[in-house]
Amino acid sequence: MVQTTLKPWGLKLAIGGAIVLYLLPLLGMDLKTYLTLTIAGLAMGMMLFLVASGLSLIFGLMDVINFAHGVCFAWGAYVAFSTFRALNKWVTADSVFYNFLIFFIAIAAAIVVVGLIGVIIERFLVRRVYGSHLFQILITFGGMVVLTEFIRILWGPNDEVMPVPRTFRGNWDIFDIIVLRYPIISIVIGLLVYGALQLVLKKTKVGKIVRAGVEDPDMVQAMGHNIFLFFTVVFAAGAGLAAVGGLAMAIFNVQVYPDMGDAYLIFAFIVVIIGGLGSITGSLVGALIVGLSYNYVAYLLPPLAVGVNILIMVIILLIRPTGLFPAGK
Amino acid sequence: MTEPTPVQLFRQEEKQKQFRSGVFFLKSGLLIFFLVAPFLLPSFKTLDLALKILIFAVLVASFDILLGYTGILSFGHVMFFGIGGYSVAMLIGKYGNPSYLNLFFGFLIAVAITSAIALLVSFLSLRVRAIFFAMVTLAIAEFAIILASKLSGFTGGEDGIIMSMPGIFKVSYNMGSFIGLEMTGRVMTYYFIFIISLVLFLLMVRFIHSPLGRVMQAIRDNEPRAEAIGYKTFIFKTISICFGCLVATILGGLYVMWVGYANPESVLGIPIMLDVLLMVIVGGMGTLYGGLAGAAFLMIAHTFLPDLQNFAKDILPNAHFLHAVLERWLLIFGILFILVVFFFPKGIIGSVQDYAARRKMARSI
Repeated sequence: MVQTTLKPWGLKLAIGGAIVLYLLPLLGMDLKTYLTLTIAGLAMGMMLFLVASGLSLIFGLMDVINFAHGVCFAWGAYVAFSTFRALNKWVTADSVFYNFLIFFIAIAAAIVVVGLIGVIIERFLVRRVYGSHLFQILITFGGMVVLTEFIRILWGPNDEVMPVPRTFRGNWDIFDIIVLRYPIISIVIGLLVYGALQLVLKKTKVGKIVRAGVEDPDMVQAMGHNIFLFFTVVFAAGAGLAAVGGLAMAIFNVQVYPDMGDAYLIFAFIVVIIGGLGSITGSLVGALIVGLSYNYVAYLLPPLAVGVNILIMVIILLIRPTGLFPAGK
Repeated sequence: MTEPTPVQLFRQEEKQKQFRSGVFFLKSGLLIFFLVAPFLLPSFKTLDLALKILIFAVLVASFDILLGYTGILSFGHVMFFGIGGYSVAMLIGKYGNPSYLNLFFGFLIAVAITSAIALLVSFLSLRVRAIFFAMVTLAIAEFAIILASKLSGFTGGEDGIIMSMPGIFKVSYNMGSFIGLEMTGRVMTYYFIFIISLVLFLLMVRFIHSPLGRVMQAIRDNEPRAEAIGYKTFIFKTISICFGCLVATILGGLYVMWVGYANPESVLGIPIMLDVLLMVIVGGMGTLYGGLAGAAFLMIAHTFLPDLQNFAKDILPNAHFLHAVLERWLLIFGILFILVVFFFPKGIIGSVQDYAARRKMARSI
């Protein structure tokens, strides 16, 4: 009875409930802290979205869980790190134009390099084990270990300080609330990427084929499209998205370290489990949930910060075993 | 007396043959080797190696029950190993004095906690698609590592817990000489661990050959079919997970008894999980004995790779890139792992079994 009455209101109830839930931390802190944490949480959510959407896309189309995704993230951060080092003049220049120029050059470099790594992983590792989840997990896990070690060989095993373009440092002061600049920039970038992804998936022919591939790869192949080519492209695109996420996260935390991929891979897993594998919108919602709760709890009860996300994941798995926005399969 | 069925005849024949086959001699040879290892390998380094091979062989076998016999990939297996280790270490190191009673309670608490967590994990994550299970267990294992290193007041943080053993397990204990061997606490601990590991291993062999174990193999091969025949696969999977994890937790306690400390890196870390995975793949999934082969291979490689590095440095002093590569033990590991999965997916024991089966076929034709 209750269920049938509530059903038409389900979505609104859920949204309302979520808003109330996310206002709750206000009880434990003052408004300024709350706003700062919210912005940081949204920014973190957007970066997690970049990582998780790649993971989710790859799974949705190819039915592959890519454990090497976290290391693509770390590679993105390190490529950007090298780019910033090489063109340090533009990073420290007191010019908005040059700062953004170097930022976009770094993004392009990260996407190209990590996209190539993605192509290599797909062609040489994943392609041979399509259809067997166990072997996919094992193979990509091995790929993760090897690529992490390559980072250690190429860039050294220690933590490094990530250079931050000048414009991105500092903050704005709005009505006595201090708003850091970079989180706002990363939120905007995340939203842009979300828009672009939706546009590509919904409005272009490639997107149409990819969406059809999520539904039924055999049929797409029967229609005369080389689905394996699309597999490679989507894998590379997913790796590229992870690279952008890594770059954004490295600037946010002002450091890069070889194992950074592992920690965020766990976050990305939680995000896609919450959001539903294969769905871009699900990744966005899941990422925001994880980012916000992580930041609130990290402020209130530091040791439990990761635990709360696992708790949310568990609750959502209990209610909806397929995640919030399950895709085709 | 009725006529014996062909199956019964076959079994009788097998039973008569079992004490004459090469496998039997190999198994008893291994048993005797581990039994007399303290006499043969008096130096601490080699004895340490032998015991670690033993512990990891049984740990890998317990992981094999999940992966090779039930078809569940769990990244949280080492977490249970760590729970056992931490529980024992805390009871006799941090929150109590070294005594037999505390040691016993350490194991008891470990078993209790592990049963609770294993049940919880399987109830939560077996509901979802199989592929989520790996992700969920990885997340939980990562959480356990974070807890162990962040709650430093409770677990000792990154440094972990150091403790000494009670009574006859104490390093300084000495019972006198027996056939030229000093019966020190080390040797006593070795035999204690050896006996318990052996019992656990035999228990697992019994487990997989029981009707319960057969159902699990049916689930691994074809889950919808097992369900259609009428087995509640969920319950059988839960039993399998709990059993495997309980064995792992007891082994964790034993491991800590041997090394004398517990910290996140040594009993909980992802690298150990990776080791166990590689051991199970190298040895052969679904063979149990593969654990021994895989553990022996990797542990020996672990111990002697530094020598190989020094050797490479001596003969090629200028190849800096090669040195950088060799120093990254995990890199070689990862590449090996990928190659084994590609070209050798059945592992050592699995391939040998295949070969033996083929020869038998050829002979019978």
